[in-house]
Amino acid sequence: MAEAEAVTPQVFTRRASGLVRVMSPYSAFIYNILTMGIIFPWTFIWVPAAFQGANLVLVILFAFLFEVPIALAYAWLATALPRSGGDYVFQSRVFGGGFGFTVVFAFFVIWILQWVALSGWLLAILGIAPTFLGLGVATGIDAFTDIGTWAVTSNGIIIISIANALIALVLLASGFRNYVRFQYFMWYAVLISFAAALILLFATNPSTAHAKLDSFAGAVDGVKGFFATARQGALAAGITSFHPPLWLVGAVLAAPVTWTSLQWASYSVEQGGEIKNAHVFRNQLFIIVGSLAATALCLILLSLALNHGIGQDGVITASSGYWLGNSSALIGGTYMAPDLIAIALTRSWIIVLLVGVGFALNSFQIVCNCYIGCTRIMVAQGLDGLLPDWFSRVHAKWKTPVNAHVAYFVAALPVIFAFNKIADWSIKWALGVTFANGIVFMFSALAAGLLPYRAKKLYEASPGAKYKFGNTPMVTVFGVLGFLTATFMVGAFLFVKELGLGYSVSGWLPYYIVAGTAAVGLIIYFTMKQTKAQKGIKVEYAFAEIPPE
Amino acid sequence: MPFWKKGSPGGEPTRIFYACDIHGSEPTYRKFLNAAKFYDVDALVFGGDLMGKLLIPIVRDTGSTWRARLQAQNHHITSPEQMTEFKEKLDTLGFYSFECDAEEYQWYEGHQDRIDDKFDELAKAKLVDWIELAERRLAGSDVRVYLCGGNDDTDAVLSALDDVSGDRVVNCENRVVPIDDEHVMATVGYSTPTPWDTPRERTDEEIGKVIEVLMAEIDDPSRTVFNFHCPPLDSGLDTCMKLDASVWPPKPIIENGQPVYYGAGAQSVADALERYQPAVGVHGHIHESRGITKYGRTPALNPGSEYGEGVLRGLIVAIRGGEAVGHQFTSG
Repeated sequence: MAEAEAVTPQVFTRRASGLVRVMSPYSAFIYNILTMGIIFPWTFIWVPAAFQGANLVLVILFAFLFEVPIALAYAWLATALPRSGGDYVFQSRVFGGGFGFTVVFAFFVIWILQWVALSGWLLAILGIAPTFLGLGVATGIDAFTDIGTWAVTSNGIIIISIANALIALVLLASGFRNYVRFQYFMWYAVLISFAAALILLFATNPSTAHAKLDSFAGAVDGVKGFFATARQGALAAGITSFHPPLWLVGAVLAAPVTWTSLQWASYSVEQGGEIKNAHVFRNQLFIIVGSLAATALCLILLSLALNHGIGQDGVITASSGYWLGNSSALIGGTYMAPDLIAIALTRSWIIVLLVGVGFALNSFQIVCNCYIGCTRIMVAQGLDGLLPDWFSRVHAKWKTPVNAHVAYFVAALPVIFAFNKIADWSIKWALGVTFANGIVFMFSALAAGLLPYRAKKLYEASPGAKYKFGNTPMVTVFGVLGFLTATFMVGAFLFVKELGLGYSVSGWLPYYIVAGTAAVGLIIYFTMKQTKAQKGIKVEYAFAEIPPE
Repeated sequence: MPFWKKGSPGGEPTRIFYACDIHGSEPTYRKFLNAAKFYDVDALVFGGDLMGKLLIPIVRDTGSTWRARLQAQNHHITSPEQMTEFKEKLDTLGFYSFECDAEEYQWYEGHQDRIDDKFDELAKAKLVDWIELAERRLAGSDVRVYLCGGNDDTDAVLSALDDVSGDRVVNCENRVVPIDDEHVMATVGYSTPTPWDTPRERTDEEIGKVIEVLMAEIDDPSRTVFNFHCPPLDSGLDTCMKLDASVWPPKPIIENGQPVYYGAGAQSVADALERYQPAVGVHGHIHESRGITKYGRTPALNPGSEYGEGVLRGLIVAIRGGEAVGHQFTSG
C-alpha cells in the first residue's frame, strides 16, 4: 500500500490534433494594462475641479475596490468559457440571444464609436499637441509650435481623428499579425513614456515646476506669469479652495471617472480562445485581477507624482482648465494633462519625444482596441445571423474581417464630427462611453452570478466550481457584488451632475440617447429575426442551449 | 406534409443539422441527438472526430480513496458521490477514464502502445453506446442520424459503425447516401497531413481520388451535400497556427515574434466545390475557424467546435431543389 500512496497519476494522451493557443498569460496581462490606458487623463483633469475635496488616491482606490468583484466574476467566466467572444458569449449563454445581442450591440458596438472619436481627440490633445509644443519650446522652431496649436483646433482634431482611424483600419484589416508586431513597440514606448513622466514630476517641486510652466507657456503663447494667472482664473471659474477639506463621499462619487480606465481589466476575455491555459484559474486571476491592481497602482503613482511635482493647487488649476472652462489654464489652447505638464518640465527634445510619442502611441492603441473588440463582436453576430453575412466575411488573403472594419470606420465618421463640433460633447459627454460600456460589464457580472443556475453543466465542469462560500458558489457572490458596484457606477452617471451625463447638465438628451441606442439594437434584432424566419430559420437557435436529455 | 415532399422545389425545405469534432464529449453527443427535436430538423449529420483525446487513470489510493489529475490539478476522491461527480465532469470534457490500482497504472505508464489500445477499447465501447442511444432516442421518428469518422478517429473504433443494424443510424463514411427524395450526401472523413500525425490522414491527391470515386456515383452534383471533414484550402474555414512538427507536442512557429497562421485545408476539397457546385459544403476539422465562404453558388461552412465546455456548436442548413435556401449557426 505504501507504493500506492507514492503514485501521482498523470494524464494519458494519444496522437490527436490539438487546439493551440499562442497568447501567454503575461501577454494577456500586458494587453489588459494597455487597454486600461494608463494615459487616460480624466482622473487628473476632471475630478479635482468637479469633485473638489475628493482625494485622488482615494478616488482610484474606490474605483479599484468597486472593480475587484467584477474582475473576479470575469475570472470565473473566463475559465468556464475560455473562448473568444467575451461578453456577447457570456450574456447570450446566460440570458439568451436577444438580450445578449441588444446589450452588446447597443452599448459596446454603437457606443464604442465614440471611443474612436475619443482616441483621435486623445492623440491630438495628449500626443501631437504636447509633443510639438514641447519640441517648439526645446528647439525654438516656431513651426513645431504652430503644429501643436493647430492640433487642438476642432478641425485639427477632426483631421487627426480621421487619419488615426484610417491608419488603424489599414493596419488591422491588412493582417492581425501586423498589429501584434506593432503592439510590442507600443508597450515599451508607453512604459518608457510613463516612467519618464513620473521621473520628471518626482524630480521637481511645486515652486520650480510653476516657474517652468511659466517659462513654457511664455514660449508657446507669449504670456507672462502663466501659473499665477491660471490660478486666479481657477478661483474665478468656481474653485472654492486650493486646499479643500477631504470629501469622502465625493471620492466615492468620483470613482466612476477612474472606472473609465479600470473597467477594461477584463478586456482579455474577448480573445479568451487565444490565451494559453485560459482555463487555469490562477492564470485568469493574474491576467484580470493582476492587471487591474497594476494599473490602479500606476494611476496612484501618477497622482502622487503630480501632487509632488506641481502641488495640489497646480493639480486643481490644471483641472479647472478642463471642467470649469478656465481658458487661462490652457497652454497652446490645450489642457494641462499629465504629459503636457511633464513635457513643460524639460527642455530636452529627446525627453519631449520619449514622453510625447508614448502617449501618442497609447492613444493610437485605443482606436486599435475599438476595431479589434467591435469587429470580432460584429463577425460573431454576423455568423449568428443577427447581422447580415456581409459583416462576417473574412478576406481570403488577409484573413481578417475587412468588411466589418470598413463598416466600423465609416460609422465612426459622423461621431468624430459630432464629438468635435457639438458644444460640450468632448468635455461633459466624454465619459458617456464609460457609462454605456459599464452597462455591458454590469450585465456580464450578473451573468457570472447566475452561471451556476442558468448553465449548470457548463459551470460544474469549470475549474472555479469548487470554490464556495458555504453552499453558495463564489462566482455567484462576486457576480452579484460586481453587479451591485457596477449598477452604482452606472447609476451615478445618470444622477450625479459632476459626471456629465445627468439631467441637470444636459436635460433629457442623455436618456434619449441611451434609450435610442438600445432601441436600435432591438430593431436590428427583430428585423433579422423576421428576415431569417422567412427562410425557415430561427435566429434564437443561435444561442438556445439544448438539453442533453 | 409527408416527408418525401421535403426538399423538392416549391415544397418545404429539408432541414439538416450538422455538427462535428465533439471528441468524446457525452453531453455534447446527447445534445446532438436532441437537436432533431429541439431544432425541428429532418436529419442529423455528424462530420467526424468522435473520439476523445485524453485518458484519465483514476488510481486507487489507501482504503477507498482515489487519486487523479485533471486540468493541471491533483484530485483526491474520497467518496462515491465525489467519484460520480468527477466522472460526470470527465464526460462533459470528453475524457475517458478507468479505475485501476497503482500496479496497473504503472503497467500503462510510459507504454504508448498499451495506452493506445486502452483508448481504442474505451472509445469503441462509447461509440457502441452512442449508436444504441441514437436508435432508442430516434425510434418512431423520421429522423436519421448520419455518422462518420474524422482524422482523429482510429479505424479500430470506427469499425463499430460497420456493425450498425438499426434503422435510425446511417454509417455514411466514404459513401453516398440519400438524405431525402431530392438530395444525396457524399462523405469523406479524412484530412490532409497534420503536425499531430493523426490516425486518418491522406495526401491531398488521395482525398481528391476518394471524392472522384464518390462523385462517379452521383447523377446530379447540384443536389448533393458535401460532408467533407477537411475544409477547403485557404478558405477562411481552415485558418490555424502553423506548427513545428519536429518536436512533440508540436509548437507554434514564430516569425518576427509572432505566430504564423495558414490554411490547413485541402485543395482537392476546394476544387471539388468549385467544379461540382453542390447545394452546400459542410466541414469541420479546424475548431477555431468557424465561418462561411462561397464557391460560386455554393456556400461552404464550418461551425467550429467547443466540445470541451459541453457546448454543441452546429449548423442548420435548409435545402430545397438543390439550393441552400438558408443557414443558421448554433451554439447549443
